[in-house]
Amino acid sequence: MASTVIGAGITIEGEIATDEDVVVAGTVRGKLSAKEGVTIEHGATVEADVAGGSLTVAGTLTGNVTANERVDLQPGARVIGNVKAARVTIADGAQFKGNVDMDV
Amino acid sequence: MAQTRTPTRSQGARDASEARIGSGARVRGRIQGDGDLVIEGHVEGSVTLRGDLTIAEGATVESESVTAHAVLIAGALEGNLVASGLVRLASGARVRGDVQGNAVAIDDGAHFSGRLDCEFELPPELGGASQGEARGRASVRR
Repeated sequence: MASTVIGAGITIEGEIATDEDVVVAGTVRGKLSAKEGVTIEHGATVEADVAGGSLTVAGTLTGNVTANERVDLQPGARVIGNVKAARVTIADGAQFKGNVDMDV
Repeated sequence: MAQTRTPTRSQGARDASEARIGSGARVRGRIQGDGDLVIEGHVEGSVTLRGDLTIAEGATVESESVTAHAVLIAGALEGNLVASGLVRLASGARVRGDVQGNAVAIDDGAHFSGRLDCEFELPPELGGASQGEARGRASVRR
């Protein structure tokens, strides 16, 4: 279970930094960094640069992404931005616009 | 981490009702929302909620303004608080700032420094003013 959960009704404008997991179901604008997993759920809106151990996206993400391990774009995800991670998957049904950099 | 979850509670229901800033998290900026929020970590900035706010033990909140319905504080709050519901300062809470609530409870062991503004309507025979304008105010500074 994630230690930090931004619920569907919550909007955070600013900077979030954590050494644990983050689940976003609401809205985040600014900057989001976590040492562990970051999950952007279906219906969530993130307009932020995201850094994390691994990132799973099913919602809408605008911003640049850096993950130490992997990035998974699930069906329904909408991502605009550059993705930097050693492992990247883009599922059928995910929308993606940007560059992928796997040379980490 | 093994975690048992009640099967009746769906993923969507959990997300709609729950928001939590974990103990390892630091948020700087503006937080607003319709639902409830539990803060276990560190928050710098304003917090505006329609729902209830819990500042858990070990949490620190530095804010120019905190607005919520019911507020339970067991951690540290520096800043002014406006609550439309009950405010409870639990034992171990440290609050510096003005607190305005519908009702305010301070437990033994809580530390509070600031003004306590608790609005309530006086009965007409005591207030003398027209209804809705007669208000009492309790002030505590220690």
